[in-house]
Amino acid sequence: MIRIENLVKSFGAFNAVDDISLSVPEGAFLVLVGPSGCGKSTMLRMLAGLETPSGGTIAFGDRIVSDGNRGWTIDPAQRDTGLVFQSYALWPHMSVAGNVDWPLKIAGMARPERQARVAEVLTMLGIAPLATRYPNEISGGQQQRVAIARMIAPRPSILLFDEPLSNLDAKLRVEMRTELLRVHRATGATSVYVTHDQVEAMTMASHVAVLNQGRVEQFGTPEDLVRNPATAFVATFVGTPPANLVPVSVLPRERAASLPAQASAMYRPEDLSVSAIPIEGSLAFDFAEASPVAGRTMLTGISDSLRITAVVDAAPRFAVGDKVHFVLPEAPAALFGANGERLS
Amino acid sequence: MSLVSTRGAARPLRIDGKLVLKLVVLAILGVLVAAPLLRILFETLSPGAIVAWSDVTSGRLARNLLWVPLGNTLILGVGVACGCVLIGGFLAWLVVMTDVPFRRTIGLMATLPFMIPSFATALAWGSLFRNGRVGGQTGFLEGLGLSIPDWLSWGMVPTLIVLIAHYYSLAFTVIAAALATVNSDLVEAAQMAGARRGRILMGIVLPVALPAVVAGASLTFAGAVSNFAAPALLGLPVRMQTMATRLYGLIEVGQTARGYVIAILLIAVSALFLWLGNKVISGRRSYATITGKGGRAKRFTLGNARLPLFAVAALICLATTIVPVLILIASSLAPSSSALFSNWTLHYWTGASNPSIAQGQAGIFSNPFIVSATGLTMGLGVAVAITTTLIGLIVAFVLARDGKGPLAGIINQVSFLPLLVPGIAFGAAYIALFGAPIGPFPALYGTFALLLIAGTAYLLPFSVQTGRAVIQQVSGDLDESARMTGAGFLRRLAAITVPLASRGLAAGGLIVFVKIMRDLSLVVLLFTPTMPVLSVLAYRYASEGFTQFANAITVVILVISIAATLLANQLQAKSQPWLKS
Repeated sequence: MIRIENLVKSFGAFNAVDDISLSVPEGAFLVLVGPSGCGKSTMLRMLAGLETPSGGTIAFGDRIVSDGNRGWTIDPAQRDTGLVFQSYALWPHMSVAGNVDWPLKIAGMARPERQARVAEVLTMLGIAPLATRYPNEISGGQQQRVAIARMIAPRPSILLFDEPLSNLDAKLRVEMRTELLRVHRATGATSVYVTHDQVEAMTMASHVAVLNQGRVEQFGTPEDLVRNPATAFVATFVGTPPANLVPVSVLPRERAASLPAQASAMYRPEDLSVSAIPIEGSLAFDFAEASPVAGRTMLTGISDSLRITAVVDAAPRFAVGDKVHFVLPEAPAALFGANGERLS
Repeated sequence: MSLVSTRGAARPLRIDGKLVLKLVVLAILGVLVAAPLLRILFETLSPGAIVAWSDVTSGRLARNLLWVPLGNTLILGVGVACGCVLIGGFLAWLVVMTDVPFRRTIGLMATLPFMIPSFATALAWGSLFRNGRVGGQTGFLEGLGLSIPDWLSWGMVPTLIVLIAHYYSLAFTVIAAALATVNSDLVEAAQMAGARRGRILMGIVLPVALPAVVAGASLTFAGAVSNFAAPALLGLPVRMQTMATRLYGLIEVGQTARGYVIAILLIAVSALFLWLGNKVISGRRSYATITGKGGRAKRFTLGNARLPLFAVAALICLATTIVPVLILIASSLAPSSSALFSNWTLHYWTGASNPSIAQGQAGIFSNPFIVSATGLTMGLGVAVAITTTLIGLIVAFVLARDGKGPLAGIINQVSFLPLLVPGIAFGAAYIALFGAPIGPFPALYGTFALLLIAGTAYLLPFSVQTGRAVIQQVSGDLDESARMTGAGFLRRLAAITVPLASRGLAAGGLIVFVKIMRDLSLVVLLFTPTMPVLSVLAYRYASEGFTQFANAITVVILVISIAATLLANQLQAKSQPWLKS
């Protein structure tokens, strides 16, 4: 299990990670998700032991591995962790087998054992035929598999992933998601996975921490986040498509009546309907785009800086330049205050 | 109507513009590069001269003509390559991968020695370490009362030191550029695996940088074996001969056939090692393609070694840049090089002829011969810069447009051939070809034209490189969109390519100018009193014992070169990726 308490990392006056506390049980798949610059990669590097925290502690099980208050951290190699870099960081002068073998050699494993283990993990990831190739002779997806094989070969009990899928094309990304989950299950290790893609977070995680500006906006299961977002940021960040947030001041009068004026109302795309003419509870937007989604239609409208998305069973055919009237339900699914805090 | 018959009918009528251009380029390269080299070979194979081969390789004089100079040359080559890779590699590692203080300054200073001509460094060495062995003035250290042993004053050791001090910046540049591409992720991945610092250096960093180390070694080797100035100034007075000085001596005394044989063998030695280096590199896989985010550069912390290592680096940089320049300036002002900092006078710069000083030689600015030589040298630099840039651009264009087929292959090979040929051997080849009239053309020996075309051919590989970089920058879409409008080749060149490329071309031209200004080995054989070139004048003065004049002229060359280099850097906004943090 991983326990993080009051973790801080500052670069000069800037707090990249600002007082984060969370813990996950053994075998969990923790995803740190957030926009770029939110501090998620710094978190991961502190977990890996590549950075020393400026404050707070990290514990793996009962053992404290980093203590920012006392300014020490256990060496990366002594933490029983493995890391897959975003760039894969395959050593270009070693073959595929050589890349997987080298960390085992450093760990002092005997040659026959090493050979067996290398063959085992290469087979597990389906890249055994590539063993003698060099990193620049194989595709991006294959390099990714080599990086994973290299990480799991020494059997670390914690697996760390730094945006591992961001360099792959869309189709490969979906395949590798499944592959990573398979590796996670097969090794039984606790995994920490950093991404800016909320779809990856929602599909892979057992636990998600949504990070923004160095702080945890919300920590919970994927279902929690979608069903019960704690802040306006989370509400508009997770879910496919994410929920709509409309300031109460622009709502139609009949819908705004009972709501505080400074707040924003959240509506789920599936709770909206559309109409070609203004009706009760509707709000007019300029038509932006429409696309078929799993037998339904996803419609997006814009009005000034506001975007709204609805998923409906059937919709009239709109063209750019048309007005679309999005019909809001009686009550919003949630209400957020001016600073993004959840009101109800 | 079949396709074949259409083609058959169209072919003879249409003139293939691409083919014609290629043939024209090939003809130019043939005259500039291939003809002199072939000529020097055939010259030694003529019935009257072929005996030179056996004279040189197995005759009674073979030991002195070839084998001892060859031995000295190889010792210099290997010694300089090792020294340069060690020093250059050490500085590159320090600047790129560690937290040593003043990294930027060290990185900048380490690139400077290559801009100081090697004869300048050799002259500075003489002003400091010269002892009384060969007569004439003694150096500063003897003047202080120290006794300098012969081995430190003359011959192999000082030549080695001067050449390493000159060429290590070449190794530094190559290795630093390679280290900068070593993604810091690679090092961190090794840290995650638990490797200690030494293991990471030996297991990851060095192997990844190995191609650059080999390249640095073979480049500095080739530089050292072809260098003329340092062994001539520091070795010749005690009869230490290298192939370059032997070649010079043979041509000077009129034994041209033997000289040409030495030239051919020198080319073979230099080319062999460049080829070997290239072979080692291309036999390995290229690592350059591995990229990624790898932004955050994590540096090795040096801890307690930080200041001592910085001191070593600073010492190396100062001793190879500022110190020689200061010595040269001081020595051009001091009447006696044994007292560098006393009785300073401007006589050697501006003084009128005075029979009591230096046999009545006037100061360099009062000597009309030297003033006209300055103008001539600068004129030569400008002329070569223009012609070679132009030809380089055309060659690069032809290759970029259609780089396939045997013709393009030959053009490519021939244009890079001068890279393998030491300057002094190239000079010898030009004498062989243009020393006598060819058909209706008069002999070019002693004319500006000979210096111009020799310089143009010699620097062609460099200008083709510049041309390629420039064309890569502007060709492709930009050129194609101009073609869509129907503009012809020359029109596009004038309206699109040249305007976009002018900065890069100007910078490349300036570097060519500097290379000509400070070149000695190419022009030392082509020099005639009617065509005096500054670097040769400095060399002549130095070998006749007028060190102050030699040093003053060298300072003039340095000032002009440094000004032009700074201007070129400004123009390119020169990127030094290893300095980015």
